[in-house]
Amino acid sequence: MSAIATATLEPSSHPVAHPLPRDEYFGDATPGKIGMWIFLLSDAFSFGGLLLAYGILRGGSEVWHHPGEPTLGIPFTAFLTFLLICSSVTMVLAVAAANEGNRKQTILFLALTALGGIGFLTGQFHEYFGLTPGHGLVHEGLIFGRSAYASTFYVTTSFHGAHVLTGTIYILVTLARTAAGKTNANDIEILGLFWHFVDLIWILVFTFIYLL
Amino acid sequence: MTQGHTSRKTYWMVFAALAVLTVLEIIVATPSMGVPKKPMVLALITMAVSKASLVGLFFMHLKTEQRALKLTVALPFFFPALYAVILIAEAGWRLIR
Repeated sequence: MSAIATATLEPSSHPVAHPLPRDEYFGDATPGKIGMWIFLLSDAFSFGGLLLAYGILRGGSEVWHHPGEPTLGIPFTAFLTFLLICSSVTMVLAVAAANEGNRKQTILFLALTALGGIGFLTGQFHEYFGLTPGHGLVHEGLIFGRSAYASTFYVTTSFHGAHVLTGTIYILVTLARTAAGKTNANDIEILGLFWHFVDLIWILVFTFIYLL
Repeated sequence: MTQGHTSRKTYWMVFAALAVLTVLEIIVATPSMGVPKKPMVLALITMAVSKASLVGLFFMHLKTEQRALKLTVALPFFFPALYAVILIAEAGWRLIR
């Protein structure tokens, strides 16, 4: 592990940790980072299972979209997709700032990323229930349990939404810890992996659930 | 810490590619564009996998990781993806036979 990875973003108050020996296969990757990758792999298979169930149900159904059920709003969801892509950029900039030991920039970009997450969650709430009365898919007749189309939609997108919520809380906690000088660049990188994964999964969900 | 260095310029280029691909996806999926179903499905899946790969390779820094980590992450997807295609095709085939 390099000195940069272990240096806290407040070097004056925390000593630099003793570097680990470089691993023959995993190089400088820290146990925490490898742990996050393993978690993300298992999480990817959870999403894979949901998308597979969706694919089988849809592929084997004579009528997928029943009369009276609303179509999904692609322009609005495309905007949410773009928002999540933007938040991935701010996250990667936070990681870059953390690697350079720039605490102020790290905090700024983490805050922007959290805003993106909050924006996405607000958008998803609006899509489901409507921020104003008379709007939202539930109001328009897309009811969980009434069709495979409705149920697979809600299960898959809400499972992703739960990840955005978890990720946003994770960002805010890390932001507070960074402000207190309790994080290092490796902590920000591990957080970044989780957030980019949430973006990556949405890219696939957007195509399979909304566009196809 | 990432193994290699990825510049901010690369991040913005990836961002531009993701934005352009998203716009292309929406154009291809718009019914009034009249793209036939099969090429549309193929194009949309190709673009989605490309976008996901860009995020994984550059934002998650897989491109500059050690070979062992790359293989650990990438290999487990091959067979599930293959079986997914087989299972979904089988469900569709039972419908039309």
